[in-house]
Amino acid sequence: MDRVEDEVLVRRVASGDERALSGLYDRYAGLVYGTGLRYLGDRETAEELVQDVFTSVWKNAAGFDPTRASFATWVYRITRNRATDLIRRRRARVGTVYGEPLFETGETDPSGELSRNFDVAAALSRLTAVHREVLVLAYFHGLSQREISDRTATPLGTVKSRTTAALRSLRETMRFDEDRWSADE
Amino acid sequence: MSEHPDTRDLLGPYVMGALEPYEERRVEDHLQGCASCREEAQELRPAHERLADLAYSTEAPPEDLKARLVAGMPRRGASRRVPTRVAAAAAAFCVLAVLGAITIPDFFGDRAMALANLSPTGRAPGAGGEVSIRGTGENMEMRIEVWGLPPCKSEHYYELWLVEGDERVSAGSFAVGQSGRVDVRMNAPNFAASYPRVGVTAENDKDPRASDAKMLSGELHEL
Repeated sequence: MDRVEDEVLVRRVASGDERALSGLYDRYAGLVYGTGLRYLGDRETAEELVQDVFTSVWKNAAGFDPTRASFATWVYRITRNRATDLIRRRRARVGTVYGEPLFETGETDPSGELSRNFDVAAALSRLTAVHREVLVLAYFHGLSQREISDRTATPLGTVKSRTTAALRSLRETMRFDEDRWSADE
Repeated sequence: MSEHPDTRDLLGPYVMGALEPYEERRVEDHLQGCASCREEAQELRPAHERLADLAYSTEAPPEDLKARLVAGMPRRGASRRVPTRVAAAAAAFCVLAVLGAITIPDFFGDRAMALANLSPTGRAPGAGGEVSIRGTGENMEMRIEVWGLPPCKSEHYYELWLVEGDERVSAGSFAVGQSGRVDVRMNAPNFAASYPRVGVTAENDKDPRASDAKMLSGELHEL
């Protein structure tokens, strides 16, 4: 699934390709699950959020319009809405409020943090495999530059220059996305 | 820029705070006198910060979740589902809970796909009911009509379940007034009719799982 654009994968999902769904899951499930843990409070509900979101992607892929928004924006909105649904459902079931929901009625990710995270995840998925690898190992696995060198059997100096190049590439990709979608708005 | 390639190549790990102390000092000394590298470092910082935010907000889901999720997706054009927890979650999401008694004389214009007669347990010996599932495509509806159930007290409610083995999928909740009767319809996933049984439990807590207070149950027959 390297460097296959999200939007291509969604088209495949719409035609029933489970591998494409798996590819999108690899890119976004961690963020959806992390969002669930952070704002819904427990692993069971966070897992339910992941299931809800990707079930929705599977069922509604044919209706996704890539000319209106990126997939990252689309899946962000689904995540936000499903998280809100889960909070409301809990409230409705017991008639009481517990937990600290992020999204109050009329308030949708006011800081924009969650939306930005999805955009960054999308940009990360479009880097070359070697660039993505050094960033994922550093940021998501917490490895030092030397540990990355050992893990990937790459000279330490190369890891450092590659990390710099990867951050540059991520910066350019994010800029491109921002220009693209702001021009369309 | 070509006159200081080594230092420039370190700017990524530098903004990440991932350099050895001696390298960091070397970079900082260089930045003192190099505007282009200062600018470059400044421009890399937002990418670093956003990536750090993303990493902070990301958590690996349970290892088996993807396999369960992908395997449990409803097949395109299929009306049967694979009975997994994923399908269960999808059903729980799709089905809207309808609270209170709603009497609708005839809301199904099309043929029933599945029916169940509900039999009472010892908790409500005089109770009974029927469940039917109708509709086409993705837009299915479940109707439950019950009678003889004890009226709900505050924060008590009944919940309708699709049942297969140990799997319980909520199809929605409802309340019963003094009449003990209710006639409710609910949205349902297109695979609801493939469950072999349905049941009604009395609920009064936060636990999303079915309680042990079984009130009614019956076999669901596809027609």
